[in-house]
Amino acid sequence: MTLSGYEALFFWIFGLAAIFAGLLTVMARNAVHSALFLISSLVSVAALFILARAEFIAGVQILVYVGGVMVLFLFVIMLVNVGAEERGREEIFNNQRQVTASLIFCLLLVGGVLYSVNQGYRGLQALHPTTPELAAAQQATREQSLPTSGTGSSKLTHDSQGLGGVLFRYASLPFEIASVLLLVAIIGSVMLARTLRQEASADDVDPEALREEIARDPEFAKLEPKSE
Amino acid sequence: MTMLNFFSPIVALLLQEAPRTRFDLMREAAANPDLSKFLVIGALLFIIGVAGVLTRRNIIVIFMSIELILNAANLNFIAFPRYLYETGSVNAAAGQIFTVFVIVVAAAEAAIGLGIVIALYRNKETIWVDEIDLLKW
Repeated sequence: MTLSGYEALFFWIFGLAAIFAGLLTVMARNAVHSALFLISSLVSVAALFILARAEFIAGVQILVYVGGVMVLFLFVIMLVNVGAEERGREEIFNNQRQVTASLIFCLLLVGGVLYSVNQGYRGLQALHPTTPELAAAQQATREQSLPTSGTGSSKLTHDSQGLGGVLFRYASLPFEIASVLLLVAIIGSVMLARTLRQEASADDVDPEALREEIARDPEFAKLEPKSE
Repeated sequence: MTMLNFFSPIVALLLQEAPRTRFDLMREAAANPDLSKFLVIGALLFIIGVAGVLTRRNIIVIFMSIELILNAANLNFIAFPRYLYETGSVNAAAGQIFTVFVIVVAAAEAAIGLGIVIALYRNKETIWVDEIDLLKW
């Protein structure tokens, strides 16, 4: 796959935006800023998906990540935010030695991964030799054969259709398992986020935990289940 | 006439095509990004995510770094099917369905993980990972 012209320009714009937004996610002091930078990184990666002709996945990425997961993150940040980090009192990174060790590890990882990508891609190129001109010509012939859209100004692709076909032909069992996983996630997060008060009103409270809580705060005594 | 004889090799030197340097090759590669550029961007995003997990103290930012790592993996899962499609492999879209499942698992993981963060904050009153030392003795 070789991009050219405007596609190459947009590839570099969105690629660099993704990387810099990722860096700022890790380095921002305020967790809300981190979340906003993560959103821009995810949107840039969605744009790269479109450049790689995966429109459906790009849409899913924006709907699920930006629309769902990141809103959840922002809610939780606002629920638990201690506000200490904006005031600059708290250190946002681990202690010096841990940071140094992990940065050395990451630099080694960068070197290793970039070297292996380079070597591996050289091997792939030897297997399927291609030039940018050849790739552009192949792309043009492929687009010629696609049907035009209703307005006649663009072409319709089969990419989402192909994805759906493959998904239900070869991966229908994992698809069903994924739905069960999501159900488990819903039940689990509801269970985990319940307060003691909600547990007691649902008559689902651990008596020992309740006794400890009453010892700390007598206010909780009225939550104790009545025994007939 | 002798003057022209003197200058012609210089003119020839100036007019000849410059040899392709490393810089030219890099510019050509940048003008036509291919599979390896997608992989490099994916690798850099992955490593930024790993650095975030290893160095940050805020547990919510650590979760965000995990999302970054998963997203870098998704970028590879999208770039390879595209490459394989152009080299004429059958079922080229098969790689893209992995991305769907990665996104599903990431959403489930975020819901559970943030539920755990809320429960932990209720019990320990902290979001700093170095203060959450329940397994230490």
